[in-house]
Amino acid sequence: MEFLEFEGKTTEEAIANAGAHFQVPSEELEIEIVSVGSPGFFGLGGRKARIRAALPEEPEGDLLPLARGILEQILAKMHEPAAVTATQEEDRINLLIATPDAGLLIGKQGQTLDALQYLVTKMLAKQTRGKVRVAIDVEAYRARHNEALALLAQKYGDKVKRSGKPITLNPMNPYDRRIVHMALQGNKDLKTISRGEGLYKKVIISPAKKKESREDVAGPA
Amino acid sequence: MKELVKFIAQSLVDNPEQVQVNEIEGEQTSVIELRVAKEDLGKVIGKQGRTARAMRTILSAASTKIRKRAVLEILE
Repeated sequence: MEFLEFEGKTTEEAIANAGAHFQVPSEELEIEIVSVGSPGFFGLGGRKARIRAALPEEPEGDLLPLARGILEQILAKMHEPAAVTATQEEDRINLLIATPDAGLLIGKQGQTLDALQYLVTKMLAKQTRGKVRVAIDVEAYRARHNEALALLAQKYGDKVKRSGKPITLNPMNPYDRRIVHMALQGNKDLKTISRGEGLYKKVIISPAKKKESREDVAGPA
Repeated sequence: MKELVKFIAQSLVDNPEQVQVNEIEGEQTSVIELRVAKEDLGKVIGKQGRTARAMRTILSAASTKIRKRAVLEILE
């Protein structure tokens, strides 16, 4: 929970300021009084009242059924008989779809699954104040896909190391790019950058600069 | 199909009561027309059309299932 400080001539005014800032009725806020103000004398020598306020944390249990409900309604309207299980993992909600029709829901290169995930995230965000991350998977498709992608990244990484020439991968969405970057992050001989415009960018794997490695060797002894 | 688009659109906009969805059924292809309040237009289109594209992707998955094609038109 993030507390912010607010001031006012009185504690009531400070609380009202906090309410205006967070755009919620002030009685919904978590409030700590730092110091009570004193009116002073003819507006002189008065101390301002100071409070600390924060939005109460969303009870996490509420989001799970909400997220599940949204996805189930979409699937029902797609005439897709599917069972959804929801689990919470830190700040992320995982929705797992069990269906006999996995291929259809995954789509070409996971397109349909990505679209579902994006829309459910947006629809859920509309109903809650906080930011939530939603991950949707069908029959462990993503787990398999991520694993394959990390392996691919390693393979190309080795190739770049051997040849010393950069390799540009096909355009990928942000999730996939992140996996590639992470897979090669620990590798000192390589660097990865994303290049391009918009949602789909290309990842370029290139050898880390020679100069840098020389500096490493000739570093302060 | 109509209900699918309506449900998604209504969950995204500020004025759900102003969401109108019309389905014009053809033999092979259905055209689904979506109308929202002017200030909500951006919400159903999204940054660089991402939301509109996601809706179209889901729509085509759903219509493949019933061996049809559906086209989503967002009308001003």
